[in-house]
Amino acid sequence: MSDHAYVPEIATTRDGVEHEVQGWQGDFYGGKLGFWLFMLTEVLMFGAMFMVLTYYFTLHHADYIEASAGLNRVLGGFNTVVLLISALTMGLGLLKMRSGDIKGAKLMIWATIFFAFLFLGVKAIEWSLEYQHGVFLGLDALQSGNAHSKPFGQILFFGMYFTMTGLHGFHIIIGIGLMLWLLKRINAGLVTPEHHILHWNIALYWDLVHLIWVFVFPYFYMIGADAGGYHIPDIGSLFGGHSNEH
Amino acid sequence: MSTNATVNYQEEKGGYYKVLIGLLLLTTVTFIQPSMFLTDATFVVQLLIGLIKAIIILFYYMHLKGETLIGWTVSFAVFIVFFFFTIVIYDVQNFQYADESHISSAATSAGSPTAGHHSTSSDSSHSTSEHTSGASHESAHSEH
Repeated sequence: MSDHAYVPEIATTRDGVEHEVQGWQGDFYGGKLGFWLFMLTEVLMFGAMFMVLTYYFTLHHADYIEASAGLNRVLGGFNTVVLLISALTMGLGLLKMRSGDIKGAKLMIWATIFFAFLFLGVKAIEWSLEYQHGVFLGLDALQSGNAHSKPFGQILFFGMYFTMTGLHGFHIIIGIGLMLWLLKRINAGLVTPEHHILHWNIALYWDLVHLIWVFVFPYFYMIGADAGGYHIPDIGSLFGGHSNEH
Repeated sequence: MSTNATVNYQEEKGGYYKVLIGLLLLTTVTFIQPSMFLTDATFVVQLLIGLIKAIIILFYYMHLKGETLIGWTVSFAVFIVFFFFTIVIYDVQNFQYADESHISSAATSAGSPTAGHHSTSSDSSHSTSEHTSGASHESAHSEH
């Protein structure tokens, strides 16, 4: 028997009224509340990072606008839509699980995993293009005190950009791992339409990842949109073709 | 309040698609806004759109609608974040150490080689750079 198999336990009050003692799978509301508390720590962590971003944006306004204008809004926007659709598939998966359609739920989770990998793939292309343009952590453009240094505010902008989108990408990877774990537990019969708190919480986690991107995207990609026009991606440069000026 | 009870997929799925359409529309607005309307307030408008999207996601995808206890808990956490945001923004807009601070000396791009390429960004930076430009003469060593 699994360690987490659901075994009802009955407790009786002094008045003789029987209550079912709730295990972690059965205590739906408690499990949900606990996960929300975890997610609030995520909100506070990303909130602190957004605060730092805002602090430097206020001090280095022009540099931030100019650096943002150089980001690839087409790829960033594409990823926004990918995450949006993945949130839908995750939500529909949970709905299918709650309605008893386990096979459909698993299919939707696999679809969400596909979109998560698609997001990471596009992000990898985007970062590769940045690297080819000489804009990446550790490269001369983002180090102060050399001939290729970008203005100080832009160095801060790109530092925050790579840190926050990187941390967000890390959350995507964690999400993929959680979804694979969820599939394993569904296959083992440990997550069922009657006991689906794990599915619910992982769906909440995925929505949080989406929610963070809802603010990351405009803050980095759109604040300079009116300054530099739309940036057309030059995917060909990844394969040795012409490279756009960044 | 959302419960552990089973649901009817066919009845409920329509809500998810409606939310998707709403979010896609807002995403479209996000894209066209900088070149279409309120172009001098892009940052505020973009974050406002983000806020609307966040509320929709929280209410419908994350099932916060009708949740009293969790709703208040989330509201409190978001309040703390916004409270400190307000303090930090107020503080930094009244930055008093431009002359002493190495960071603020390089804050303005007025002296950077790339400044002025985008007139909009330069214009929009005036209010911020005014109070930091006093030390811009010090910035050369940190930029090159």
